[in-house]
Amino acid sequence: MNPPCIRSEHLSRRALMKAALGSVAGGVVMNWGGLTASRAIAEEARKQKKHCILLWMNGGASQFETFDMKPGRPTGGPFRPIDSNVPGIKVCELMPRMAKQMDKVAVIRSMHTSEIDHPGGIYLMHTGYRPSANVRFPEMGAVVAKYQGTEGGDLPDFVKVSSNGDAGGGFLGPKYQPFGIGSEGSLPQFSTSNMDPVKEAKRHDLRSFVEDKFATETKSELAKMHREAYEAARRLQKGRDAFKIDAEWARSKELYGDSEFGKRCLLARKLVESGVAFVEVGQSSYDSHADNFQWHRGLVPPMEHAWAGLLADLKERGLLENTLVVWTGEIGRTPQINNRAGRDHYVRCWSTALAGCGIKGGQLYGSSDENGVDVKENPVTEGDFFATIYKALGIDPQIENYAGLRPIPLAQFGSKVVNALLG
Amino acid sequence: MFTPTKPTLRYQLTFEGSWPCAVAFVGPRRLAAANQLGNIFIWDLPEKPPEFKADPKAERQAPNVWPTRRLDGHTNEVTRLIMTPDGKHLVSASLDHSVRVWPLNGAVAGKADVLLDEDARKREARRTGKKDTSTAPSATVETQTACEVLEGHAEWVYALGLSGDGKRLVSGDAASKVIVWDFVARKPLSQWSGHPWNWIAAAALSPDGKTAFVSENRYKRDDFDVPTPGLKLWDAATGKETLDVLKVQFPKYNASDRSYGGSQVWRKFVANGLICVAYSPDGKLLAAGQGGETDTGKVHLHDAETGKLVRDVASHQYGITDLMFSSDSKHVISVGRDTCVRICQVSDGKEVAVLGAPRGGQFKDWLSAVALSPDEQWVAATDIAGSVQVWQLGG
Amino acid sequence: MFRIHSMSIIRLLTAFVSIAALPAFVSAEEPLRRTIDAEVKAGWAKAKVTPAKPSTDAEFLRRVSLDLIGVIPGYDETIAFLDSKEPNKRDLLIEKLLADPRFARHQADVWDMVLFGRNPPGYETQRREGFQTWLRSRFEKNIPYDQWASELLKAEGTSAETGALYLAQWRNAPEDAIEAITQTFLGVQLQCARCHDHPYEEWKQLDFYGMAAFLARLDVVTVAQKGNQPIFAIGERNLGEVRFTGPVKEAKPGDKGQPVKPKFLLGGELPETPLPKDFKEERFTEKKMPPKPKFSRKDALAEWVTKTDNPFFARSIANRVWAQFMGRGIIHPIDNMSASNAPSHPALLDAITKELVAHKFDLKWYIRELVSSNAYQLSSVGTGEPNPEWFQHARSRPLSAEELVESWQVATGYLAAESASAKKPETDRFRPVGSGYLIQFFGNPITGTGDFQGGLREHLYLNNGPLGSMIGGKGALAEFVGDAKKPVTERVERLFLTTLNRRPAADEVKKFTAYLTEGNSASEAVWVLITCSEFRFNH
Repeated sequence: MNPPCIRSEHLSRRALMKAALGSVAGGVVMNWGGLTASRAIAEEARKQKKHCILLWMNGGASQFETFDMKPGRPTGGPFRPIDSNVPGIKVCELMPRMAKQMDKVAVIRSMHTSEIDHPGGIYLMHTGYRPSANVRFPEMGAVVAKYQGTEGGDLPDFVKVSSNGDAGGGFLGPKYQPFGIGSEGSLPQFSTSNMDPVKEAKRHDLRSFVEDKFATETKSELAKMHREAYEAARRLQKGRDAFKIDAEWARSKELYGDSEFGKRCLLARKLVESGVAFVEVGQSSYDSHADNFQWHRGLVPPMEHAWAGLLADLKERGLLENTLVVWTGEIGRTPQINNRAGRDHYVRCWSTALAGCGIKGGQLYGSSDENGVDVKENPVTEGDFFATIYKALGIDPQIENYAGLRPIPLAQFGSKVVNALLG
Repeated sequence: MFTPTKPTLRYQLTFEGSWPCAVAFVGPRRLAAANQLGNIFIWDLPEKPPEFKADPKAERQAPNVWPTRRLDGHTNEVTRLIMTPDGKHLVSASLDHSVRVWPLNGAVAGKADVLLDEDARKREARRTGKKDTSTAPSATVETQTACEVLEGHAEWVYALGLSGDGKRLVSGDAASKVIVWDFVARKPLSQWSGHPWNWIAAAALSPDGKTAFVSENRYKRDDFDVPTPGLKLWDAATGKETLDVLKVQFPKYNASDRSYGGSQVWRKFVANGLICVAYSPDGKLLAAGQGGETDTGKVHLHDAETGKLVRDVASHQYGITDLMFSSDSKHVISVGRDTCVRICQVSDGKEVAVLGAPRGGQFKDWLSAVALSPDEQWVAATDIAGSVQVWQLGG
Repeated sequence: MFRIHSMSIIRLLTAFVSIAALPAFVSAEEPLRRTIDAEVKAGWAKAKVTPAKPSTDAEFLRRVSLDLIGVIPGYDETIAFLDSKEPNKRDLLIEKLLADPRFARHQADVWDMVLFGRNPPGYETQRREGFQTWLRSRFEKNIPYDQWASELLKAEGTSAETGALYLAQWRNAPEDAIEAITQTFLGVQLQCARCHDHPYEEWKQLDFYGMAAFLARLDVVTVAQKGNQPIFAIGERNLGEVRFTGPVKEAKPGDKGQPVKPKFLLGGELPETPLPKDFKEERFTEKKMPPKPKFSRKDALAEWVTKTDNPFFARSIANRVWAQFMGRGIIHPIDNMSASNAPSHPALLDAITKELVAHKFDLKWYIRELVSSNAYQLSSVGTGEPNPEWFQHARSRPLSAEELVESWQVATGYLAAESASAKKPETDRFRPVGSGYLIQFFGNPITGTGDFQGGLREHLYLNNGPLGSMIGGKGALAEFVGDAKKPVTERVERLFLTTLNRRPAADEVKKFTAYLTEGNSASEAVWVLITCSEFRFNH
């Protein structure tokens, strides 16, 4: 039975057509409106379903202490590079496990972005747009939830685990708000029902009667949406156990490293395995204006242990080919070391990384000059970064949604997909 | 005799480029200082400094002499320099994972031209508007490579300490390993680990070499994943823990805790790490300095038997970087991120001398290490602005 | 026969007049409501759509209460209205609601959202009790719209007492400010022209900057401190310009651009008296009210925007208030009244605009006419769309967070129990559940195109949240409904009349009777009716 077409989506009909044409392998990948009512198309869509895990380095990790080392230069610092499993690629000695996963990873060393402070940078690297007084841009997670999410699933499609950034669903709407898990795994307020299940079933039955009658008599589109959201909230009760990792933690501890970030990454893998489209995992805080080397020495090893574990785990479970793992923060850090032994904010030239979901691993894309001051080759803007991410996830970055009258593409107008990063 | 009064700045030894970060006297008026590149230079300082008229507005307030020798071997930052009590060797620890023992009159390997004042030349060029074209070296020094390398660490070596009698050495690394060495034999005597998640930040041996005082900590893994540090006494020969000083302070403290809530128990006491420790020469007190960046870095003085906090002395805005006792155990000399050397009385905490003055603001420079001459008349402190300050005490 | 009553005679006569007239034109005597009905009816014929039936009394009662005073009626008012035999009871209801003090408060709530929204830009604009009190007073006193709009744009006084906080949203951002102001008050979208000449409208970049120039000299001055909240005044300097660097694509870094003089949209440059050559600008000092400039561009803008013959102003407010009650503007979207966006009912919009001007921008008069029209009073049952293009059935909209919490207070009987108790009445509007979560998750449940969207966090709150504290109180509705000693039909009736402002249908009586007689929770029955779609939306 075809669900009625939602008038509000008509504004994006043009975008809808473009999106359908832009999908992977010619099939319809998105699952919104009434388009994929047909079971065959839905099956096809689920098979091609892509997921994304965003590893969010809150505060801005230093490229000099991770992927773009400058040993021997005045900007280099005390760490030394080590070889990786890809000839020609060295990483910081703080990342011995990631060194063995570099065949899966594409590092971008030439990020060149436009917001240097935390609020602006966090917004920028979550939405791909600079903050605007007049438009509420959606986060990467909201976009992925909309275009790769599952209608009628038990779990929300945009989960944020101990991370920040509050752009949320933006103009895509409250349906795409993040479901925020706390730093120690706590679910959002009111997620849990303590009601006796028999009592709950009785009230659900009564409510269904009321809603059925209202739907039959009015055919109200708003009521339909309201009811769907009610059902989704109710289904969450069933799906809640997906957020628990205690049982699995004992055997995954070594793979992910015994740290909070390790636990969060395991949760991300578990959620992706359960069908969630987008999980963001945060680690805080890399804002090392003082004692940069101690901070990175403390933060990077547990992070890279978990990241390497996640890649290996996803690979082993056959999930990596359809799961994009994005590594980024809001900013990079200065080549100059300041008088507090720290590095300050820097966005002229810094590093991010991508793995999985068709990303061509084992490469260093773009480069910086000998001191890491400026991009030497192949600058990548925030728009380009987002365009590439969406493209890898089978989402056409030029799809437009409307904010008022303005058609707004998913990735900034003028941005380009970095094809070298895609296999 | 330690008389911490009437300090006068005698030398401002130019040591620019990489930050100077370790210092030790290697003779009555002979000084060793090292930087983050791993260079160790030796200066011979005339008792009477050369004629010098200080311009009150200038950076330079005391004369410079160039070093005479450079010890080559380390490839990364030198974290500590200690002279043996018999004055024959200099021991160094480094981020290059090694501990080296340098004979103080070792064979000369060769000569090298060194540039130690590149910043000064750049300043001059800016001032005069002329491009800096001089390629002449600051000095030509003898180089020495002769040293013994003590193998045993596979990570950054932060901690280094020598027993009062010079017979035992303790070193500690970022993989939480502590090694006590039979220094005479140059062989490890015992080794143990602190909590696996910690780095050994600092270590000291009791005057008789029987007890090791070790501070271990690490930067957090996440705002909500804050591993607990440690401050303990250990039997140097067996590696057995003999006293948990932190637990004496905080009976409820749990060494396996890494919750945010747990960290609030010890946060104020440990600040951003107790990154320098010392045993008083009379063996009665332990000192631990709060490293930065922290609002006010203090030195905790603990009873060496009970571990109880006796008092806090010294306070350096933004944190302490190094500390030591005077030989009579009556004073603590500390340096920190406020560009000062502070000398405090152990008995009552009274600050009796301040060498230098804070340059103001959070973005000014540190004194990163401090040393006392054998006769305790001179104090040397490395200044990350690119010099070693040498002060004379007692007028 | 019909009762002789002065109002009904007038209505009868005017109805006669309007029936006789063909495509309606405004006669001096014809009330606007008749014009509205005639034009809307003509629209149906043109679009070949079938209109819905008129609304039932129950539908109308709830709808107009929410639209006028922002809260559902209580049980007693519901019974009184439904059972009244007065033929003009709807008119009487409308008058009663218009005279209710909550009318002013609700209209101020609506406009506060238009002027600020849930997350306004700017520093310290989130907490704005001073502004809200001022705005409410404009509606309480029925100050004409052009007058208070002008006050708003002139921004005199301090943020504690007047509407001065409005302009404080855009500190040093005249471009952002003019975008918002032209959209809100003139229904014009200038923002595309900010970066390049508009692709298909007539606005050029210089038009945009010419308008932004009016606000180039503003500053937000902190004149006092009230506790931890700063109090602002808007100061205007004597000097200062906006600079124009050409199309954004061609802009070079370091390009400072040329200053642009203020120029009215579709009009001429603003004549300004030049300052003396040696004029020295004095800086504003904190804690002091900034002095007025020798010549105020901002005042010139305010006067021009709110002029009766400004081609956009009257038309824009006519369209906006129409949309407020009818779901969508005659020109849709309401802030895009451009040449390429034709009105669905051009003659109607012209007529309303003309009448509104003749009535000197009396919004209360306009609202009265609107809600008295048959078009407004249609049932909302039709195609199922929330905002039908031809107004062939009434619109549906979600209740705002404020409407929800206050309606819950009424529907659960919490308010009635509170009044009955001897306790001093509380002032927190969001009692007993608090405002934080509600505003965050129910405050803006729409997409970029203004369409409602259900959210997970909304329903987690409804399903597992604190509504029980309202439902389960002593003396609340659930007590009555759960009282096995009372006849069950009475209990079910009371339940529906209190929550949904109507009597239950036969099948509802059957279902709820079975539910209650089985001994199931009366609180949950209340919960069902206050969280269901029929409650959540105004329809």
